[in-house]
Amino acid sequence: MLCTPIEHSLSRRRFLGAAGGSALSLGGLVTPAIAEKLRKERRQVLFVWLDGGMSQLESWDPKPNTPFGGPFRPIQTTVPGIQISELLPQSAKLMKHLAIVRSVSTQDNSHSAGVDRINRGDPKNRGVVYPYFGSAVSKLVGSNDSGLPSYIWVKPMNGGFIYKDAGFLGPKYGALALGDGKPPENLLRPKEITTEDDDERNELRKLLDTKYAEQRRKEFTEANTHAFEMAAQLQKKIELFDLSKLPQKDQDRYGSHDLGRHMLLARRLLEEGVTFVKVTSYGWDTHGDHFNGAASLHPKFDRPFAAIIEDLRDRGMLDNVLVIACAEFGRTPRINGHIGRDHWPEAWSVCMAGRGIKGGVVAGKTNDKGTEVATDPVDIGGLFHTWYKALGIDPKETEFRNGGQPLPIAHEEMKPVKEVLA
Amino acid sequence: MQPKKAPPDANAPKELGKPLVPTTQINRIRFSPDGKMLVAACFDGTVKRWDVSGKEPVELPAITGHNGWVTSLAFAGNALFSTDSWGAIIASDVTAKEPKSWGVENAHDGWARGVSVVPGSDVATCGKDGFVRLWNLTDGKKFGEFDLKADVLSVCFAPDGKSLFAGDLFGIVRELEVPSGKVIRTFEAKELHRLDRIQDVGGVKNLMVSADGKTLFVAGAEPKSGGFVQCVPLMIAFDRSGKRLSQYKGVNDNEGYITDLAWHPDGYVIGTTSGQPGQGKFFFWKPGEAAPFFSGGKLPNCHSVALHPKGEIVAVSATNANSSGNGRVKDKGGDYPANNSPIQMWSVPKIV
Repeated sequence: MLCTPIEHSLSRRRFLGAAGGSALSLGGLVTPAIAEKLRKERRQVLFVWLDGGMSQLESWDPKPNTPFGGPFRPIQTTVPGIQISELLPQSAKLMKHLAIVRSVSTQDNSHSAGVDRINRGDPKNRGVVYPYFGSAVSKLVGSNDSGLPSYIWVKPMNGGFIYKDAGFLGPKYGALALGDGKPPENLLRPKEITTEDDDERNELRKLLDTKYAEQRRKEFTEANTHAFEMAAQLQKKIELFDLSKLPQKDQDRYGSHDLGRHMLLARRLLEEGVTFVKVTSYGWDTHGDHFNGAASLHPKFDRPFAAIIEDLRDRGMLDNVLVIACAEFGRTPRINGHIGRDHWPEAWSVCMAGRGIKGGVVAGKTNDKGTEVATDPVDIGGLFHTWYKALGIDPKETEFRNGGQPLPIAHEEMKPVKEVLA
Repeated sequence: MQPKKAPPDANAPKELGKPLVPTTQINRIRFSPDGKMLVAACFDGTVKRWDVSGKEPVELPAITGHNGWVTSLAFAGNALFSTDSWGAIIASDVTAKEPKSWGVENAHDGWARGVSVVPGSDVATCGKDGFVRLWNLTDGKKFGEFDLKADVLSVCFAPDGKSLFAGDLFGIVRELEVPSGKVIRTFEAKELHRLDRIQDVGGVKNLMVSADGKTLFVAGAEPKSGGFVQCVPLMIAFDRSGKRLSQYKGVNDNEGYITDLAWHPDGYVIGTTSGQPGQGKFFFWKPGEAAPFFSGGKLPNCHSVALHPKGEIVAVSATNANSSGNGRVKDKGGDYPANNSPIQMWSVPKIV
């Protein structure tokens, strides 16, 4: 069954209220100088999350004409010797920009635990809740010069301020989730309130915040203030959300479905300089009628995924933006009785492109039937190392601090996948 | 006090012999018109064959030459037409030592979904590429091509061969004139499709015309969700003018799709349903009646049904038990197992 988190609907009031609601402590960087350097370099991430688990066999690691290979053909990519599924024809054309890790092997075959484990990098258990990758990058890289929140999550359904993503970093590093790609409700100043009145209201709020802060822990009030600041920033950029003003050609290339529209919004946010944009698509948990599901779903990922890589390339942004397509696991080689594939963390694939990534590369491999990783397995900790390295952050030299407690930013016993690093 | 058990239904289908257990999963099974052979379209790219003319079925060499999955089968005498998920159609003489008569490797761009035959003249195929194509039965020469601009899941000739029906992903069935391809009529069964999030779910999985050519059966399911795909089996009977006559609808959304249909000369439909894990069944339904006169069979995840030409035996392909499971399921020997599709023969109930 689908096991997706249910976020509450967000009005401005709730958005603001939620931000102050966590008692998690704030972490810090070892050297602020490093953070400042990173900001100037404008390192960004696009994290495409295919919730439920995309099948590696119908995407990045086809096994045609084998017992578990399924019905689809492999197609040649633009890189000789590399084939992917026929369901990803646009990505195949851009293979020289893509790196595929086919030897991903992770630890959890349930959605409930798997989603968190993958997003938090599955570090060693030290009794703290690690941040999601988006929160971690938000902390380590900063907010660039966009004047926008550093971690924005574009997703179907409801939005909200998702402070739980931040773990021990504290709620300030949570995700601003834009439900259905829309800004929080009631974000704009109502017409009946004048600018002067609004300014006065904000002054009053700040005064009350200061008084409130005197009696409470810093992280509560920081998060509250941060939420107001984010709201104010979004008010200034409200035109970002109106995709109808973009050329029709762009809208057609990305697709009019949720994932297409949300990827197009992601491009806009990246263009504005947002550090970390996560785009989630739900409904990939194809336990039944999987192959017809894949025939419908995969092309709806392929087109906007390829379109945004093309656009980032054409804008010279692919050198700055690390692009990752990921899920909580892949899908079983075995085809079940109702022609579905179940959950499979044992041997699956992740695709990436952009900043710090060597394109046209496949790292690792699975065996002939796709039932085992045939090379050194890569757990999510290794992928976190890879992604940090691609962003120019050395996990050996950088650590989080959780109130004085030094914590590695990625599992210290794992290492990056060097083959995919530029 | 224990409730009294209902007396066994003397007219219920009964299992005949042990199931055939191929080493692969199956999309379709069909009897040859003379009833001597049973063939199966398999996930391993072969068409498996059994001589069923004796007391016990005897497996014959499989027909090879396909890629991906063999997706559909249709007989015309000894000629068997099979399609595959890489887009090929192959014609085979099932009595010949070298069975292949002709083949078209790229009959469709990708998944060829279905095949239908008018004995003595034409073959029609349909595919995910949105096309219906017509082929000369004897030499495989293409003589018609119609772009329906949607994934065409099923195709079926009218008994007189003058028109054919093509059902698509969105629940639309078009009756096309042969060979012109002119759309004669459209039958709407849009409840067979659902857009769930970004996934198009369902569609016209099966089409069948009654032997007298008067009734068109349009089958699939009413989807409730994508992903796991929960859906209630649904089959709608239309007259040839496009008027809805009656329908069979399953009871709950664990029953899955109607996966295959057969027409019994006594005037009823035999069908199979996919079901959720471990569920699924076959059923006998007389058009116009509210419910099937038999539904069951204790067969998990059924995918095809074939009626023997004499009308007294029906073969049903299902799935082995415990076919689902997250992670690395292992069999008793410690290996990662593939699933298979046991084929069970059943007696056909006498309609009262």
